[in-house]
Amino acid sequence: MTDVRKTVRQAWKASLHLLTGAGVSLLCHLMVGVVLFTAVLTATVIGAGVLPEAVLTLRRLAGLERRRTAAWTGEPVPEAYEPLTGTLTERVRAAVGDPGTHRDLIWGAAQLLYGMVLLYAAMILWAPALLVDGFWYGMAGREPVALPLITRLADLQARLSRTLLLPSPRARLAERIEQLTVTRADAVAAQGAELRRIERDLHDGAQAHLVALSMRLGLARRAYDKDPTTALRLLEQAQDQAESALTELRHVVRGIHPPILTDRGLAGAVRALAAGSGLDVTVDTGGAEDGPRAPAAVEAAAYFVVAETLTNAAKHSGSDRAEVRLRRGPGRLWISVRDEGRGGATESGAGAKTGSAGGGSGMLGMRRRVAALDGTVQVTSPSGGPTVIEVELPCAW
Amino acid sequence: MRVVMAEDNALLREGLILLMTSAGHEVAGVAATGPEVLPLLLEHRPDIAILDVRMPPGFRDEGLRAALEARKELPELPVLVLSQYVEETYAAELLAGGARGVGYLLKDRIGRVDEFLDALERVAAGGTALDPEVVTELMARRRDDPLDALTPREREVLELMAQGLDNATIATSLVITERSVHKHIGNVFAKLGLPPSDSGHRRVLAVLAYLNA
Repeated sequence: MTDVRKTVRQAWKASLHLLTGAGVSLLCHLMVGVVLFTAVLTATVIGAGVLPEAVLTLRRLAGLERRRTAAWTGEPVPEAYEPLTGTLTERVRAAVGDPGTHRDLIWGAAQLLYGMVLLYAAMILWAPALLVDGFWYGMAGREPVALPLITRLADLQARLSRTLLLPSPRARLAERIEQLTVTRADAVAAQGAELRRIERDLHDGAQAHLVALSMRLGLARRAYDKDPTTALRLLEQAQDQAESALTELRHVVRGIHPPILTDRGLAGAVRALAAGSGLDVTVDTGGAEDGPRAPAAVEAAAYFVVAETLTNAAKHSGSDRAEVRLRRGPGRLWISVRDEGRGGATESGAGAKTGSAGGGSGMLGMRRRVAALDGTVQVTSPSGGPTVIEVELPCAW
Repeated sequence: MRVVMAEDNALLREGLILLMTSAGHEVAGVAATGPEVLPLLLEHRPDIAILDVRMPPGFRDEGLRAALEARKELPELPVLVLSQYVEETYAAELLAGGARGVGYLLKDRIGRVDEFLDALERVAAGGTALDPEVVTELMARRRDDPLDALTPREREVLELMAQGLDNATIATSLVITERSVHKHIGNVFAKLGLPPSDSGHRRVLAVLAYLNA
């Protein structure tokens, strides 16, 4: 008995889906009309201001249908539009030229028909389906055959919407190119900033120390014959300068590419970080140490993520325990750092204005570094903890 | 002393050889790559080995690996490891088999010739020489009450002990008498709750174990 109840319930849910689909059809009717009407008006200049708004509303409606379809099929329907920004002319041009607008219009016109037709079909089917299955199942004890047809109708509707609303491969490529252009510009900017930082560090640090050192050696040479005591003092100062220059250089080198990363790879370097963090850190390197190593830039980004988050955990979390996990998959490296502290780190990450010095800006730098490699950072830190930072980095192994 | 050294950088190699010979030590052999080190040590059986961490063929930590192998194959051989940068992890690996005859110093320290030669002789004699930077890192990490309870002078004494210096050298570098060094050390051990330990590598291990806990 339960089986037939399930079938009826399923058919009922399908009917509801078709009903809301018909509702969307009505809105399509409205929106397709509005868009076409404003398009005509645009030709006479009067409607130009309204056209981008009309297209945006059509996009919202298409978005609603995408979500509805995704909810029914359990499979997300991606969207890709050109952004409508800039002056009015630019917005109108983008709205008219976007292939997404054309696809939305085609979908709207089609949904207008199939949304209604499929709902009618379902409504007509219900009574005979109940009769047939009542006989078929009740009398003959066979599986219901007619009621599932209603579910098939809803499936058909979802499939049609999905096919029509999926962005064309060209649009998806365009969006990907857009994204890559932005991240590449970020990467170039980040690299430029990094080079300037290194140049400044060397200029103000090691280079200045070496100039001072050379000066002291020159003075010591002059004083050597007449005033050996002064010469000796100058030599001592020169040695101090040389040591300062070396310390500076070491510092700069660590900032460019930590030597231990070269020596021990990511897993070894992360273990060293954990040991030196002052926290009780569990390190799970997964399979990260087997097989070929990730590109140096990816390893360095992963290293700085772990270093930054462990420093933050030690400073702000109030907990003395943390967990670092590395995972590698096909073309991917995942890093997750978790502490059992008091949480609330998201604000400092997003806004960079809370009192925790370094926490915010460090987090921002980390996001930039990861984004430059086309990776993602996710921070979950509810008040009361725990704080979990998850980073995904694409890379060829 | 007879010294075997491993250093791939020609400038530094010549400098070290000059330094060793002018201090009256004999350089028995020089290795320029990681894999050459152990056979050379087995061949010459020197009084001490001076090894650079980063060497060919991989330019990673070949020298350190050679040092760890040497300590396994020739447990009595004192080893002094030099590097452009220091890592706590490497210090821990070197000290894993005990602190007897182990040195781990930044190359910068070679510039202070007298101190460097002291450290060399200390390691050769079975003592320990740990770079101040490692000790500073360890000290900075422990932020607990017993360390806070130390007076500035006692902290200095603790740092120098952790570097492997003996009482006389501590006294000289702090310009105080050996008697007061002895007194400070007593206070440090009492405040940290450590059993009093004799001078030398055992004391270094006790102090490092405390800092690492």
